[in-house]
Amino acid sequence: MSRRITTITEASMLTEPFMVRALIAALLLGPACGLLGVFVTARRMSFFSDTVAHAALAGVAAGFLLGFPDPTVPLVVVCLGVAVVMLWLKERTELLTDTIMALLLSTSVAVGVVLLSVQRSRWVELDRYLFGDIISIGWPDVAWCAAVAGIVFSLVLVQFDSLSLVTVSEDLAHVAGIPVRRSNYVFVLILTLAVALSIRLLGVVLVTSLVVIPPAAARNLACTLRQQVLFSVLAGLIGSAGGVMASYPLNLPTGPSITLTLAALFVITLGVSMLRRKTKPALAQP
Amino acid sequence: MQIGFAKPSPSAIEVRGLRTRLGNHEVLRGVSLKVQRGQIVALIGPNGSGKTTLLRCLLGIQKSDAGEIRLFDQPFSTVGLNRVGYVPQRLQTERSFILTVREFLALRVKRTHGWLWHSKAHTDRLLADTLEEMGVGALLDRPLAALSGGQLQRVLIAFSLIGSPELLLLDEPTAGVDTPGEDSFYEMMAQVHRRHKLTVVLVSHDLGMVYRHASWVYALNGVICCEGTPEQVMNADSLKQAYGIHVAPYHHHHGGVHAH
Repeated sequence: MSRRITTITEASMLTEPFMVRALIAALLLGPACGLLGVFVTARRMSFFSDTVAHAALAGVAAGFLLGFPDPTVPLVVVCLGVAVVMLWLKERTELLTDTIMALLLSTSVAVGVVLLSVQRSRWVELDRYLFGDIISIGWPDVAWCAAVAGIVFSLVLVQFDSLSLVTVSEDLAHVAGIPVRRSNYVFVLILTLAVALSIRLLGVVLVTSLVVIPPAAARNLACTLRQQVLFSVLAGLIGSAGGVMASYPLNLPTGPSITLTLAALFVITLGVSMLRRKTKPALAQP
Repeated sequence: MQIGFAKPSPSAIEVRGLRTRLGNHEVLRGVSLKVQRGQIVALIGPNGSGKTTLLRCLLGIQKSDAGEIRLFDQPFSTVGLNRVGYVPQRLQTERSFILTVREFLALRVKRTHGWLWHSKAHTDRLLADTLEEMGVGALLDRPLAALSGGQLQRVLIAFSLIGSPELLLLDEPTAGVDTPGEDSFYEMMAQVHRRHKLTVVLVSHDLGMVYRHASWVYALNGVICCEGTPEQVMNADSLKQAYGIHVAPYHHHHGGVHAH
């Protein structure tokens, strides 16, 4: 009986065009964020994606104020602008990175809320961007997601060795002939694009989970970097698609559903890792 | 004390009037030096004297405000860095980034030799041989972030050697390594220097190592205070010039010498 109900639910879910669009977006962005996340966590940039995500609020509010019917373009532009300002401040001032991020995060949220508050009719939109809303994902958004996922995978795979060496040591990468500054800017820009587009799925508050949890879950199982990258991409894929699919029959908001699916994956991999350590204590100690 | 070069020979590094500022502090105030090819040159000096900054300037990581740097008798260029290996004090690797020693060294193989020129078997043999030479062959599949300070320094030298450098720059390679570990590290480094016919420039606080292995010493404290052979520089007057206070070489029970 329960099997039959599940089948009916899955079938009806796939007849809903908004669910199909959300699922495709999740299948594109989950693996892309998982791939980027390996380098984000290793470079201690988790707070960076949080800052960029919160900057999206200002982009959305500015988009509505300027009369954009769909605020995706202003959202992406403001996120990229904040990312560039962050890099510029890091290079040109003596401020610590987390100070710069906290400064930009709080400022951009304040700007977003002020701009939304002068457009009373748009105030309801705030909730949609804070926690994600798959109903608002249109085919143009899916096309954006496909383009960004394509850029992320092609750039990261082509530049894999350079990204890895810059992550280990910028000085060694410089001596090996890698243009470190350019590499860092490119990485930040593609990360910003991926985070900005994922906001539709998870919302500003939870989007960092798609970048941080997959590599953390992968780290529990992997013994090499290549394994970590592969497992992180898979975790991003399973977590985001699983979260979207679970949200429909359970009538849950999609953002928290994706985050909880990713968190469940992390708990499972942590359990496997601890079991493995118990059975092979010598191998667990490097 | 300034001692002239006895016989001119091709230089690996030549620096003239180098000035560099970090924030508002002028760290290097007109440094000039010349490193002959094939030498082991030690840079000594107190903390904050600009040793690491000088190395970073030589590599083009730190911009200089004035002065000239020549590598292998050519004006500094990033192309010249192909002939240079660098061993930093530490890496920025997090434990969350599970790069193994094999994967790390393979990054250098691919940058130096390209993807197409080496089979996997050839690369594996090259990595294993290079690590064996450093005495750490068993570390090939260990995560980089899990290595001890001494193991990491040997892996970093292996990383540099894969690039077939002519000049090796080491920044306090034995910081955080115990005394027996220091001794065996410098013995290994001296062997590498002879076998690969390298020029070696290293920053060190271990005056015993400087005395035993260096062929030329520069004492730095914003400027070059004195230079010469270890016997010439390692006396109380010269060290006082560099360190600004009375410093006498201290012989500890392993035979090493430290400033105190």
